[in-house]
Amino acid sequence: MIRPGLIIGPLAIATTMIVAILAPEISPHSPYRSSVDMLALPSPAHLLGTDDLGRDIASRVIYGARTSLTIGFGATIVAMAIGIPLGLTAGYIRGRVDTVLVALIDLFIALPGLVLALIITVMVGPTLRNLVLVLGFVMWPPIARLVRGQALAVRETVFVEAARAIGGSRAWIIRRHVWPNILPVVASQFAVSVSFAIFTSASLSFLGLGIPAPTADWGGMVRSGYDYLAINPLMSLAPGAAVTFTVMGFYVFGASFK
Amino acid sequence: MCVMVPTALLVTALLFCSVNGLLGSPAAMMLGQDASPQTIAELDAEYGFDQPLAVQYMRWLGEALRGDLGRSYTTRQSVAQAVGNSLPVTIELAVWSILLATSLAIVLNTIPTARLLITRTTAAVNVVGITVPNFMLGISLIFLFSVELQWLPTTGWAPWSDGVITHLRHIIMPVLTLSSYYFGVFSIVYRAELHAVTRQMFIRVAQAKGLGEWRVAFRHAMPNAILPVITFVGISAGQLAGGAVVTETIFSMPGIGRLFVRSIETHDFPTMLAVGMLIVVSVVLMNLLADIAYTIANPQIRFDP
Repeated sequence: MIRPGLIIGPLAIATTMIVAILAPEISPHSPYRSSVDMLALPSPAHLLGTDDLGRDIASRVIYGARTSLTIGFGATIVAMAIGIPLGLTAGYIRGRVDTVLVALIDLFIALPGLVLALIITVMVGPTLRNLVLVLGFVMWPPIARLVRGQALAVRETVFVEAARAIGGSRAWIIRRHVWPNILPVVASQFAVSVSFAIFTSASLSFLGLGIPAPTADWGGMVRSGYDYLAINPLMSLAPGAAVTFTVMGFYVFGASFK
Repeated sequence: MCVMVPTALLVTALLFCSVNGLLGSPAAMMLGQDASPQTIAELDAEYGFDQPLAVQYMRWLGEALRGDLGRSYTTRQSVAQAVGNSLPVTIELAVWSILLATSLAIVLNTIPTARLLITRTTAAVNVVGITVPNFMLGISLIFLFSVELQWLPTTGWAPWSDGVITHLRHIIMPVLTLSSYYFGVFSIVYRAELHAVTRQMFIRVAQAKGLGEWRVAFRHAMPNAILPVITFVGISAGQLAGGAVVTETIFSMPGIGRLFVRSIETHDFPTMLAVGMLIVVSVVLMNLLADIAYTIANPQIRFDP
């Protein structure tokens, strides 16, 4: 029986990605152009109404997919670029590298991710590039831990022993024998990490530390719509639903992939 | 324990450098844009901002360890006092949320059911609990129960002295918001363990004796599957801190999380440092407590320092 997550997850991910890529074609209005028609309720002209500056909410939600996916994928790639090499070396070579890395991972994992991201974002300033780097920096320890554990297990297998026996170099064994066996686990972790990055960046934006205005950014939109909940709730709820949909898609896919 | 000290030091040092090094002199920030360089320098000297960062950091650390967290730059109030006022709010929020999440996760998942539909529904609810961002859930609850139905007050805080009902009416939505993630996580951990436990011999024996399925589930399986959840309460303490920051901001609760966000917004350096350190220390402490609770709950494990 196929797991429902393997259908729902990719569908949700594909939807968000298509929306992000086709944003200029499918959005009915410019996400930035304001008008005098402020806080309008949903109408045929503005499917989700307009925000406090008269901008079309639907278009902003559509463009927000670009921001979220950029941060989600960007941060995950940064985290993987740090976590995978560290995890592989520590798990396969062991020794002092391993001891130091495990201590470092333990130290980082004890820290609350959102709070740490909050602190560093204040420090470096919330720009798109900085958010990607900050989240990547916050997210690498669990990845390194996962890869290390897997590498430790693969290291003890007979085929790695055979590879060592025929005189294979460390780098070659890691590349040809260890890494391909870890790949499926890393792929599943990739999806979960993207969902975490989008979740966390949206939370940061909601707290006022996201991408500065006027960029269409879901977390920031939820925050600014919060004050107008009684007038046009969609200003807040529509981008909120978009975040939830995307986070859920990546999470469900990653979790059922394992 | 050995992780706690370096972690706390690292984070406070990080915070220290962030404000001093990158945001400029706190004195310039306190005096505003119109201040002359001379007045800034005077204030710098008065507070010791002109000294090397390492010296300033050691001095702050020394005072903090003696319970003196300095004074807020914005309210001029003692930071220790502000933290002391906010702490009970956050602790109450966290305790209710963890209690609600663990008891719901354990009871709902123990109920014996062989129906695929029900199992699938619970699995879906768990995923929703984990993936719905706190701010989305909180705002949806406010929209539904405060704006549309007008059953509950939107935001704010009422202490116990305002009456039990008023107090609970203010805290119910924040608790629901914060507990959803934990409900999902605890459920997944508990279900996996329960699944392993129900395959063991003693469950078959209990069934063979003719005990009802509810009795087998709650008296025999549940107590043996609860342990990993206890550990997870500790492990997820970090997430709880992050969740509390968002939840308190949504519901304007005067807790530690909102104090932290506000101190960041206003560049209130001493408050930021104190709260940042408090969060890290309590997270590490929660991990330690979970370890201890685990050894107490499971006599098979003897604590081996």
